Amino acid sequence: MGTISILIFAVFLAVFLGVVTYDLYKSKKNGTNFRIKNCVVGFLMVAPAVLLTFLFILLPMLFSLGYAFTDFNQMRPDEVNFVGFNNFKEIFREIGAGGDMLSALKNTAIFVVGVVPLQILLALGLALFCNRKVRGVAIFKVCFFAPVVISLTVTSYLWVTILSPEADGLLNSFLALFGIPEQDFLSNPDTAMLWIVIISAWQGCGYQMLIFLSGLTNIRSDLYEAARLDGANAWYRFIHITVPGLKSSVLYITITVFIGACRIMVQPMLMIGPYPEGWTLSYYMYMQGTEYSLVGKSSAIALLMTIFIGLVTFIQKKVLGEKKSG
Amino acid sequence: MAKKKLPLLDADGNEITVVKQNTSKIAKNVVYYVCGAVMSLFFLFPLIYMLAYSTKTEAAIAESAGTLGMFLPDFSNLGAAFDNYKKVLVDYDVAKYALNSVRYAIISIVLNVIINGLAGYVLAKFRIPGKRFFTFIILFLIVVPVETSIIPLFIVVKQMLGLNGAATILGIVFPAAISVFNMFLFMQFFQGIPKDYEEAARIDGAGNLKIFFKIILPLSKPIVATVAVFCFIGVWNDYLWPSLLLTNNQDLMPVQAALTIIQQDTELSAGAKMASLVVTSIPIFIVYVAAQKYIVQGFGTAGLKV
Repeated sequence: MGTISILIFAVFLAVFLGVVTYDLYKSKKNGTNFRIKNCVVGFLMVAPAVLLTFLFILLPMLFSLGYAFTDFNQMRPDEVNFVGFNNFKEIFREIGAGGDMLSALKNTAIFVVGVVPLQILLALGLALFCNRKVRGVAIFKVCFFAPVVISLTVTSYLWVTILSPEADGLLNSFLALFGIPEQDFLSNPDTAMLWIVIISAWQGCGYQMLIFLSGLTNIRSDLYEAARLDGANAWYRFIHITVPGLKSSVLYITITVFIGACRIMVQPMLMIGPYPEGWTLSYYMYMQGTEYSLVGKSSAIALLMTIFIGLVTFIQKKVLGEKKSG
Repeated sequence: MAKKKLPLLDADGNEITVVKQNTSKIAKNVVYYVCGAVMSLFFLFPLIYMLAYSTKTEAAIAESAGTLGMFLPDFSNLGAAFDNYKKVLVDYDVAKYALNSVRYAIISIVLNVIINGLAGYVLAKFRIPGKRFFTFIILFLIVVPVETSIIPLFIVVKQMLGLNGAATILGIVFPAAISVFNMFLFMQFFQGIPKDYEEAARIDGAGNLKIFFKIILPLSKPIVATVAVFCFIGVWNDYLWPSLLLTNNQDLMPVQAALTIIQQDTELSAGAKMASLVVTSIPIFIVYVAAQKYIVQGFGTAGLKV
């Protein structure tokens, strides 16, 4: 592995030197020379960033890409064989056979389809609510944003207690007031993922609210006044001024929320555990790589996820971006 | 408020009463604030519940079930609250783990600002060959989703770099300190600083590092603060990576990783477990309230540039 990474570094260095000589050659041609002292100092100053980015971001990415086509197993790290597309075949076979991989796919899909619209609409509603110049709005903003800064571990364990199947759990004791018998929300495959959707939206939407708010303040207020003078009602103003004005925020938020949702992992891990109703793609990928030591298969799942996320992001950008210009 | 308003007159010179309009405005405001309060409660009730729960014994928890008492601390038995907190802080070492987290966060913040700041400085102000190559890699890494490579990262840190024992801390701190997004932020911010500042310093004989630390960074307080706050929140709240890296090294664990071990302890009472959650959340809340301005600012500068 050490030799492979040295090889990767050599390629990296070669590409870099190639670019540098190209730049030097071009500057000679244009007669705009670089100052050597400046260059040396500049390179020294970016060196730590380059080194750490290479070691902790680029290298793991490239390793992951490479492992996807091998049978690398942490139990026998010295014996790595190239197996072509076997990992991918195995994954698709498992999906076809209805194994854990299928549950992971299904749960991730439920989560993404549920949380993306819910969280964005909640955030938009909160942003519109807070977008007034009234005394005390700042306090509301602080309250709405508060769950965002709390860690996923804390909110997960907290909600496990709230949703406790015991009679003294918060939700169950509330339902008991209406004569509804105790429910086990997180063990029930029908409701487990829905609760995680709700909890994630509850925790996350304050973040997108702030982005929407900064988008709202960028909309010129004279547009609203002009529309009001023309007799446009509130709904008309929302559709024809607010929505177009928020296009770039919507694009950014949809993409980031979508990517975040595809990676959902900690909440099901801590709240449900490794059961069919708790698997998500990231969680399954993580467990394959750690508990089962199957780094090859794990990396293959990661690669598929990355390709999928990249594709959808690209499509979202195209679709939402076109509306912006049109 | 006390300014006396001129009476509004209609065409015949009679005074028009504006009282009705005022009351409807007040009513509108009341509705607004009530709505806001209800929505705030929706976001806060789990946290209030957490606080109240952490002060109770198991018996008190069962007793308050189904009543409003679930959201109120158990005033009749404040000793129980003290016991719960003392148990997790002292007996279960949460104080120690929290201190670990603070340490990692501080080191990460310092490294983050210096390393990414220097890179951003060079990209913004220097004319060096290969600059477009660096900028391209930064933009590429911002766009490509990289979060899925946690296991290869583990292999790099543990097996390739061989960071074991106390050196494992480097494996926590470095990945938290390096952020292409922050390099990009710094670069953008530094581009807005006029050249005159540096040139004046250069005439006075200051070197590049001195210019960076004495002139550029002090001029960039808002962005430094934003980066620092987000870095602190990130390190404090990170759970997965430290718990994977420090599986066999519990003494070095940051607080979130230790929390999962505490939660699985069967001897600890439910109230005390909840107290451990409260203790973990308090520092982040203090930072959040104190640094609110910079968090909001972060959205203004960072949010929409991508």
